[in-house]
Amino acid sequence: MFLNLHDHDELDRLYALFKEQAEAISALVYRVTDPSAAGKKLREIINQLAVNKLVAVPSPLVNSCLNNAGAQTAAVHTTNLRNYAPEADLGLSEVDLAVAETGTLVQDSTAPEQRLVSTLPPVHVALVQTGRLVHYLSDAIDLFNTNKDTSSLPGYISFISGPSRTADIERVLTIGVHGPEKLYVIFVDRAGGACVE
Amino acid sequence: MHALNRRGDIKRDIKEALGNKNLRGALTRFGEAYLESRARAYAGKDFNALREEICAIKRNAADKMEDLAQRFTRAAEARGTKVFRAATAQEAREYIANLARQKNVRQIVKSKSMASEEIHLNEHLHQLGLETVETDLGEWILQLSGQKPSHMVMPAIHMTRGEVAQVFSKEVREQLPPDIPKLVKVARQNLRRKFLEAQMGITGANIAVAETGTIVIVTNEGNGRLTTTLPPLHVAVVGLEKLVEKFSDIKPILEALPRSATAQKITSYVSMITGPTPVAYPDGTTGDKELHIVLLDNGRTQMQADPVFKEALQCIRCASCLNVCPVFQIVGGHVYGYVYTGGIGTVLTAFLNGWQNASEIQNLCLGCERCKLYCPGKIDLPRLIRELRRRTGEKAGAPSISSQVMAKVLPNRRLFHSLLRAAGIAQKPFQRGGMVRHLPLFLAGLTEGRSLPAIVSKPLRDRVAQTPKTSQIVGDNQRQGVRVGFFAGCLVDFVYPRIGEAVKELLTSAGIEMVFPMEQTCCGVPALYTGLAHTAAEAARQNITAFEHAGVDRIVTACPTCAQAIKRYPEILAGEPEWHQRATTMANQVEHVTGYLHGVFQRLAGARLKKARGTTVTYHDSCHMKGCLGLTLEPRELLGLAGYNLVELECSDRCCGFGGSYSIKFPQLSRQILDNKLDTVAGAEVGTLALDCPGCLLQISGGLTSRGSAVTVKHTVELLDL
Repeated sequence: MFLNLHDHDELDRLYALFKEQAEAISALVYRVTDPSAAGKKLREIINQLAVNKLVAVPSPLVNSCLNNAGAQTAAVHTTNLRNYAPEADLGLSEVDLAVAETGTLVQDSTAPEQRLVSTLPPVHVALVQTGRLVHYLSDAIDLFNTNKDTSSLPGYISFISGPSRTADIERVLTIGVHGPEKLYVIFVDRAGGACVE
Repeated sequence: MHALNRRGDIKRDIKEALGNKNLRGALTRFGEAYLESRARAYAGKDFNALREEICAIKRNAADKMEDLAQRFTRAAEARGTKVFRAATAQEAREYIANLARQKNVRQIVKSKSMASEEIHLNEHLHQLGLETVETDLGEWILQLSGQKPSHMVMPAIHMTRGEVAQVFSKEVREQLPPDIPKLVKVARQNLRRKFLEAQMGITGANIAVAETGTIVIVTNEGNGRLTTTLPPLHVAVVGLEKLVEKFSDIKPILEALPRSATAQKITSYVSMITGPTPVAYPDGTTGDKELHIVLLDNGRTQMQADPVFKEALQCIRCASCLNVCPVFQIVGGHVYGYVYTGGIGTVLTAFLNGWQNASEIQNLCLGCERCKLYCPGKIDLPRLIRELRRRTGEKAGAPSISSQVMAKVLPNRRLFHSLLRAAGIAQKPFQRGGMVRHLPLFLAGLTEGRSLPAIVSKPLRDRVAQTPKTSQIVGDNQRQGVRVGFFAGCLVDFVYPRIGEAVKELLTSAGIEMVFPMEQTCCGVPALYTGLAHTAAEAARQNITAFEHAGVDRIVTACPTCAQAIKRYPEILAGEPEWHQRATTMANQVEHVTGYLHGVFQRLAGARLKKARGTTVTYHDSCHMKGCLGLTLEPRELLGLAGYNLVELECSDRCCGFGGSYSIKFPQLSRQILDNKLDTVAGAEVGTLALDCPGCLLQISGGLTSRGSAVTVKHTVELLDL
């Protein structure tokens, strides 16, 4: 289901579609070459929004992004997130898939920390490997559809499309209700680093 | 629960709703925007293919409901979920209350769930001293203001920002401005505390997968995620109709639900939950969460056992049937008076909350059949509502006087027609310029507040009897012996015979013999829509016999409602095999005259039609013409062949509010729907409005006359000059 990383044209097309669709629902979408560039992007966001407290769910990509961000201004918490996430200014996590047709991020969020950092803070920054782009929503569902062995189905699968929203008062679209009011998506082409092809 | 004692208040509710300009404005604006944004959301998707898939999935699930419930239970339990099968609302309420007691729960957060509203869970928990907070913004507004939802997807659509500001100001004890982003922030801050403190989270589910024990929750605000993540205890109340067999069945439903509900390609959040996940505590420890799923029956197996209403289990609760309903657009959900509103709500209410509750509100349906075109579950909702009428008609002890009269008079054609003739004479003193203020019998209410054309002194049946036999006329088709029967219907026969005469002229000029069987009577629709099944069946039998005797090849009618009624004769006579066969023959023969003439004159390439030389007209799509018969291009092309310039009418397929006897039962409602139509007609700035339904003709021309408008309204056939 995943595209060969060398199929650049197809990835470019899917990325362009994702960006168009996700931006139409108020997400902010970027694409960088490697974790070091992702770190730089994160630092920009931290500075721009004057983030003081950041919560993150560790993963190799998240860790190397944080290392490269070098943001000394913000306190970073990666443990006891239930305690820190409610007061944090920004949540950082890696998601498993990106669906181009709807601009959707997909994540196995069985660990509650994944949901806490992406829902409680007013800003969520999601990292995703560019090679994890799929075209259709049904492709993503198929990836979890194991048929034979239902015990391998994750306990909590999240589909996230843009920041949280409501139109409950006079049908006026308002961004940012119970979830984040800003969602940044950073695609990383070579998550393993610059030297890994 | 005031809703249980609300019978008989419907007229008052309608009056209130009509007086509520906020609600009407919001709903009308929404109704208009909805169709466009829905179409954009479905771009690139094949809606019909998608709904075929959903229909098959949900039908299969309904067939196997009990089996799927058991498989769901086993799969969910294998993953550590506790499943409780609740037969009734009371069992569900008690299970949840006991659980709360056992776990020492004091505060509960809820994410929007129709099933929990259906069982009046909040009231019950509140009585037990538990704080239960609705966290969906719209639901919270309603909870704070003590109001009921007016829409299944947008519960507080009837309230303005000013009203919300007042409600919130009271809650937070601070004067808040009517500023929407600010109000949303206030909700975020206040409810955030509730999420962090609650010991129990209650949600519904949009889909439940039997194969995996998974529930799928579709939300936008993020409250669903917090409700299922923060409290250590999660209870999901899930109706049995939410079950599907396979995990892959999620796909088409998830594609259609947000597109049809809110015109989104997908909602901000979709959560698929299989078994309990860990819970994180503020002290840094984690623990095991408990997940309880209450599988709610509460009337659903009864629905499943019903050969007709089983179809309602195909509903995915998108509420698009509300969004496209001309009545809902005007009155909103409160008039329906129950948890489930609009067309589907009428049906669900009968099963989930009792037939008495549904008997009044089912009358609200105009029978325009628009909802049927938009239902992603492919439910024939108009058919279910007709069946509901039939059964409530059977159940109700005393029918209204007008329906008693109808049951007596309608099956007796001679009596019916002589009463109409007598009325034609009796009304003479009240006539002014061909318009009348009073009509007899069950047609009486039609004249309330509007001018109506008079019943003619010489109905069509008398006129056609006097014109020369068509065999004297020579034409191409006549040589081939084409005989077409004309079904007049009451309005053309007794009010607009000029339409029938125009048809006869047109057919004759094309060399087609038009036959008018004298034994034909009313198509049966007034009886059908009033729930008088026997009366409708008798009318059907008489018409079938009449046209069999005439020995015609085809039957045309100038009324799309009559055409549709005849197409339903097999359904009406389904229980009588011999009649069913004959009904099927007649149903296959009938078509709307405009569709028929379109074929005829296209073959003749418009020859024999006098060119109108650029006269400009606009066109109203009658509900049954477009929605039931699928005729939209035909009248337009026919008018084009006749040389008319067509200017499209804004919202040309919006209902005129006639709906037959509807305008009698709910004159104010009908009037309001008509007013919206008249505004668009005025906006078209043309001298002539063409349409293809004598009912719409009566309604719209009556409305225009009382407004003093100069626009003339004509049936398409009247605009085709020879």
